[in-house]
Amino acid sequence: MHSDAGRAATGSNPAAAPWHIELDNVSVTYPNGTRGLRNVSMSIAPGEIVSIVGLSGSGKSTLIRTINGLVAASEGTVHVGPHEITSISGSALRRARGGIGMIFQGFNLAERTSVMDNVLVGRFAYTPWYRSLFGLHTQADRDLALRALDSVGMLEKVWSRAGALSGGQKQRVAIARALTQEPQVMLADEPVASLDPPTAHAVMADLQGINAERHLTVLVNIHMIDLARQYTTRMIGLRAGEIVYDGPTADATDAVFEEIYDRPIQARDTLGDDPVDAASLGEHP
Amino acid sequence: MSSQLPATAPANASSAPSARSTPTVPPKPRNHVRTAFIAAAFVAFTVLACTPGIGGVDIDLGAFVQHWRNGWNKFVQLLQPNFAFLPRTVGPMLETLQMAIVGAFAAALVSVPLTLWAAKPTNPSWPVRTFVRTVINVIRSIPDLVYASILVVMVGTGALPGVLTLFLFDIGIIVKLVSEAIDSSEHGYMEAGRAAGGSQLQINRLTALPQVMPLFANQWLYVLELNVRISAILGLVGAGGIGRLIEERRSFFRYDDVSAIILEILVVVIIIEVISNLLRRRLV
Repeated sequence: MHSDAGRAATGSNPAAAPWHIELDNVSVTYPNGTRGLRNVSMSIAPGEIVSIVGLSGSGKSTLIRTINGLVAASEGTVHVGPHEITSISGSALRRARGGIGMIFQGFNLAERTSVMDNVLVGRFAYTPWYRSLFGLHTQADRDLALRALDSVGMLEKVWSRAGALSGGQKQRVAIARALTQEPQVMLADEPVASLDPPTAHAVMADLQGINAERHLTVLVNIHMIDLARQYTTRMIGLRAGEIVYDGPTADATDAVFEEIYDRPIQARDTLGDDPVDAASLGEHP
Repeated sequence: MSSQLPATAPANASSAPSARSTPTVPPKPRNHVRTAFIAAAFVAFTVLACTPGIGGVDIDLGAFVQHWRNGWNKFVQLLQPNFAFLPRTVGPMLETLQMAIVGAFAAALVSVPLTLWAAKPTNPSWPVRTFVRTVINVIRSIPDLVYASILVVMVGTGALPGVLTLFLFDIGIIVKLVSEAIDSSEHGYMEAGRAAGGSQLQINRLTALPQVMPLFANQWLYVLELNVRISAILGLVGAGGIGRLIEERRSFFRYDDVSAIILEILVVVIIIEVISNLLRRRLV
C-alpha cells in the first residue's frame, strides 16, 4: 500500500536534516501524585527508527509526550534538534512542535470535517492566526497537504468526511497530517493498536518508509513484540516509568521482553499474522 | 418447553421456542423502603409548601367558588372565536415572525464566539471562561418580560425592544446549553492540533467549529421556535408584534377576537416547529 507514488512525491524538504532527541534525567509526576517517568535519560541520533516497548501504564505515552511538550517534564531537560522543549512555552513551543509530527492510537481526526481540513491542521505552526481565522490557506500549504495525502495513497479521499473512513484510512490521513508539517521528527503513540493485522503492517511499513526515504527520526510506542522486531532497529524498554532496556532490536530476545514485561510472553504480545504482501514491506529480522 | 420459561414471560414461550435451558437471571435489586421514603418526602414537602402558617403559599379555594361565574363568561366567549377579525392580525403576526427571525439570527452569530469562550475544551483559560459564564448567567437570570418592559422605556415601543429582548434571551440559552454539550463531549482532535503546533484559536476555527456545528444548529432552531411563542407575549408590555393586539382586544373585553388570535398563534407555532424539525433532520 505504500506506493511508488509516495516516493515520487517525497523530497519536498530535502535540505532539512533530521533532529536528534536527548532526554536528560527526565521525571514526570502528575498532579494526582502518579509518577509517569522516573529519571529517564536517552539519546536518539538523527535518522534513527526506535521502538519504545512496555505494558500499558509503563510510561510509554508519557515519554513520547514529553518530547513535544504535550506533557511537561517535572524534572530534567528534553532537547529536540535546536529546541530545548523543557524551557520554552507559548509561540516558541508551537514553532518547535511544527518540526515534530505525531500520530495517535485513536487517530485524533476531526470526524465531522473534510480530510483536506484535517490534513491542513499540519500547517498550524506555520500559519498566522488571521489566515487560520478566515480559512485563507496558501496555495503552497494546499499543495503540501495534497502531496502528503498522495504519498499515503489517500488523495482520492481528499473531500470525504474524515468520519466516513475506515480505521486504516483514518490512520493514513493522520500520517498525511503529520507529513504536511514537513517534520524532522515523527512520534507515533501506539499507532496500530486499533487496527487489524494487515492494516497494522501497512501502517508500520509507512512509518519505516518515512524513516528510510524522508530521513526522519522516528519514535514508535508499541507493545507488539513482532512488530517492534520487524520494523525498528533500536528498542527502548520501559517498566514502571524507568528504562530497563536500550539496545539493538536484533539483540532483544524473548527473555529481554519477559524482563521488560515482568511476566512470560503471551499470545497477545504479538500480532501473529504475517503481512499479506511481505515482499514489499521491508526486510524481516 | 414453555414450562421452563419464567411464568412472567408467557408471550415469549410460543414465539421463541428453545432447546436450551432457561438462563438463571440474578434477582433484580429492589429497594421498597427507599422508594416509599422518597414518595413520603415529596408529599410532605408539597403539604408544607401549601401551609401559610409556616410561610407556604395561601391557596384559597373559597375565592374560586365565589368568582367562578366571572371566568365562565369569558371562557364561553373564548369558545366562540371571531374569525372575521383575522385579516387585522396579519400585519402584527408578520411583525412577530420578523422579530423572532431577526432575534434568532443575531443571537446565532454572536453565540459562536461566546460559546467557544465559555466551554472548557475550547478555552483553557479559566479566568476568561468564568467571566463569560458569569455574564451569561446574569443575562439568563432576568426574565424576558423584565427585559421587554425596561427596553420599551429605553428605546420606545415597537419591534426594536422586542428584538433586543429575544436576542438577550436566546444568547443565554444557546451559550449555556451548547457550551455544556461541548464540555461533555470528546475532543481527541485537539491533542493532534496542539501536537502540530496549533494555537487554541486555530484549533477552534479549523476543527472544533465543524465538530460542534450540529450542537449549534440544534439550539439555533430551538430558539427560533421559542421566539415565535415568546414574541407573542412581549406585545403585552408594548414590545411589538401580535401581543400588542391581544392586549388591545382584551382591554375591550373582546375575548372572541382574542381566541381567534390564540388559534392563529397555535397554527403558526406548529408550522414553525414542523419546518425546524425538517431542517434539524437535514443539519444534525
